[in-house]
Amino acid sequence: MKGMLGRIVGMASVLALSANMAAAEGKLSLYNWGEYINPEIVDEFSKEYGVEVTLDTYSTNEEMLARIQAGASGYDLVWPSVHMHDIMQQLGLLQPANPNQMPGWENIDKAALRSHEDPNGDYCLPYAWGAVGVLYNKTLIPELTSWKQFFEYAKANPGKVTMLDDLRETLGVGLIMTGASVNSRDPDEVAKAEAYIMEQKPNIGAFRYDVIPLVTAGDVAAGHYYVGGVLNVLQNPELLGFVIPEEGATMYQEDVCLLANAPNPDNAKLFLQFLMRPEVAARNSERLTNGVVNTAAVDLLPDALKSNPSINPTAEVRAKLQIFEDLGKDLRLYTRAWDRIKTN
Amino acid sequence: MFRGFKTFRLWPTLFNAYGFLFLAFLYLPLGLILLYSFNANPINMAVWTGFTLDWYATIFGGAGVKGSFDAAFTEAPERIFAVVKNSFLVAVSAATISTVIGTVTAIALARYRFVGKRFYQALLILPMLVPDIVLGIALLVFFVGAGFQLSLLTIIIGHVTFLSSYVFVVVSTRLAGMDTTLEQASADLGAGPLTTFRRVTLPQIMPGVVGGFLLAFIISLDDVVITYFIAGVGSQTLPLFILAMMRRGLRPQITALAVLIILFSFVVATVGLLLRNRKP
Amino acid sequence: MIAGDTVRSRRRRALLLLLAPVTLLLGVFFLVPLGIMVVYSVLEPGLYGGVEWTWYPFNYGRILGWPLNDYEEFDPIYLSIFLGSLKIACLTVLFSLLICYPAAFWVSRMGERRKNFVLFLITLPFFANLLVRIYAWLLLLRPTGFINTLLQGLGLIAQPLDMLFTSFAVVLGMVYIFTPFMFLPIYANVEKLDYSLVRASQDLGATPLQTFLRVILPLTAPGIVGGSIIVFIPALGNFIVPAFLGGSKVQMTGNLIERSFLQSRDWPFGAALALLIMASVVLVLMIQLTRAARTQTKGAV
Repeated sequence: MKGMLGRIVGMASVLALSANMAAAEGKLSLYNWGEYINPEIVDEFSKEYGVEVTLDTYSTNEEMLARIQAGASGYDLVWPSVHMHDIMQQLGLLQPANPNQMPGWENIDKAALRSHEDPNGDYCLPYAWGAVGVLYNKTLIPELTSWKQFFEYAKANPGKVTMLDDLRETLGVGLIMTGASVNSRDPDEVAKAEAYIMEQKPNIGAFRYDVIPLVTAGDVAAGHYYVGGVLNVLQNPELLGFVIPEEGATMYQEDVCLLANAPNPDNAKLFLQFLMRPEVAARNSERLTNGVVNTAAVDLLPDALKSNPSINPTAEVRAKLQIFEDLGKDLRLYTRAWDRIKTN
Repeated sequence: MFRGFKTFRLWPTLFNAYGFLFLAFLYLPLGLILLYSFNANPINMAVWTGFTLDWYATIFGGAGVKGSFDAAFTEAPERIFAVVKNSFLVAVSAATISTVIGTVTAIALARYRFVGKRFYQALLILPMLVPDIVLGIALLVFFVGAGFQLSLLTIIIGHVTFLSSYVFVVVSTRLAGMDTTLEQASADLGAGPLTTFRRVTLPQIMPGVVGGFLLAFIISLDDVVITYFIAGVGSQTLPLFILAMMRRGLRPQITALAVLIILFSFVVATVGLLLRNRKP
Repeated sequence: MIAGDTVRSRRRRALLLLLAPVTLLLGVFFLVPLGIMVVYSVLEPGLYGGVEWTWYPFNYGRILGWPLNDYEEFDPIYLSIFLGSLKIACLTVLFSLLICYPAAFWVSRMGERRKNFVLFLITLPFFANLLVRIYAWLLLLRPTGFINTLLQGLGLIAQPLDMLFTSFAVVLGMVYIFTPFMFLPIYANVEKLDYSLVRASQDLGATPLQTFLRVILPLTAPGIVGGSIIVFIPALGNFIVPAFLGGSKVQMTGNLIERSFLQSRDWPFGAALALLIMASVVLVLMIQLTRAARTQTKGAV
């Protein structure tokens, strides 16, 4: 039986291997968040360098990590958030792509080198950053400025707001509202944040990511959402609004990283170089409506983006944004709090 | 008909009315998708603002839909074709392999007597009874542990494990209703087992085999949960693609794609059911 | 040929050949994976997914009450999620039964051709993609969806009803998805119903209700039980329906399992939960099998 199993496994890996070898010529595999790159840019790269690019998507850092660990090893580039970048580097899943040796690096905002493990940009290229705020429907809420107002509206109109189905983001709001750090490892602080969200839960319609259509159609009045929602605000300024609540908010940043077992490292490096071109970065940001890490690209942005307080917040607002760090084993404090919130 | 029915003459009418409600319950939601897929309103599908074929056009590479709030991220048609191709590759391979395995097993269990037959019968039913999520994560854990790369190949293997059982059941039913005297006669006339199988058994069970294949094909094509756990690089299938789209929000483009999928499944299923219902 | 090569041994070899593929397939890709999952469920979770190879019974402890008490304190919520899933699965069974039972009688009274056609119509939606069918209910139930728009248009309600993202929506969605599973076993039984027994009961002066409870119901019980089991099993482990129609607010064990694997990086805990579901399934099947065996022996007497 065991010999048989070995033979089957062997056969299968030969098959898988040959499939990979066929893939090694002029190809590039990207594994990115859904809707987190301007498809035109991918096309353009593909045409310019004659490289066939495939793009798969994920919806959480953990899903991506789980799949990479589960042997999804045909990808070249991934887009982890900064804390996941640290984890992946520690786990040996990444290899240095040396973006800091490439032309164009001088344009990268050095403040965006937020990774603890990779302070000089030896491994990954900072990609984009943004705040997590609230997207709202102006016909239902004319103006929204704070979490307090968000929850008060929910209390008066139960079920008409949504929050993200993400334990750290949503508990993060609880931590901000109870005056703690979003990276707190103190069980009491996490418990307080849990209690805060629990108190709001009856008024929250759902924990979801698919907020844009719900808010646009008016199914819900407001939804906890990423700054990327500003794209829809700009297309529909009468109807939609996006705000970074004045109490503060979480922020995220993704870096583009080269996987240790990437089949096409050379094409991947070409792609990183391509992303650093100011006009490419600018066009990407236009579509993503995220914060820009490329200083040369800022000047190329349309005014609507440059002057948008959510995309390009003032120093005062920026000071209130907190970024997630890896919590190691203490993540379980959050997992359990989140299990309770979703159940009770 | 029993007397209770006769004394209350409204019974048949009531039953018929109920029956139509039952069918309406089954079909109205699907009909609604069909209707919405032609609605031009990009913001609220429930409000009719005019007839359009734009949503279908975007699937086949027509121009981006103007005025749609999510036109920016309408999926590229090449992407849709790629996942459709993956889905078909998986469904055809998985259905073919499981048809062979299921048929061969059905013959073994129907035509031979041996110790452990009951064990095999139980074992073959089990994959259909294990909840999808349990099978999905068990396979994930196994593939990772055994060093398999998650790929289309792992999806095919995963599908074959439970599809073989479906084919087995369909072919077994056919075999049970079959007359064995012909096989006997063929053997008596000196034909080898292979010849008997090819010339006598196979033609008789063919509708069952083809029906089983189509059933396996369509289940494989539709599978979400197990595929979700064992899909790897570049091996996104159509259901996973729709899952990802649905997570990002309800859009008219999904509605159009849904209509095409329903139509295709219905055609395949119709052929399959017709074959299965043909009397042996 | 040597003397040992009798017809019998040739048949034996043919049998081995015929059984080899399925043995390999289910042995390697079904029984072994289930076995590995059992092993994983008693190992320590790795910090970033995967497992540490140390004996660690606290995954079950966390659910059932003997925690390690560092991070894994006992919390009854996991049992309550499980009980909640049981409840939703049972409600799904109950409502599909109520819907399908009369429908089975309706179909069984038809003429041959019409019957075949209606049976075909009832089976067909089963082949439409699961996600597509769930999607249809999202469109129907959302606050700006078909039902609310219709009711508001008719002036029956002023405010949209909150139907989406509730347990109601989850049960409704599952009933919809599993209707063919419930219908077919019941129908198979109802079609074989011996009406002479029904007539006899009425001739003996039983009221329609008595006839139904004492004669029709017991005679169709096997179909009811069969259908219930086939619906109960996938309903219990479901995670797609609650994820979409429950708005991630209605939790079932399936959602917890998915989150353990793909979000909170706790594979062993997910494996333990999956085995809990598996255990309930096996329990239900065993009850059914012993019951069936008992009725069989009774019938033989």
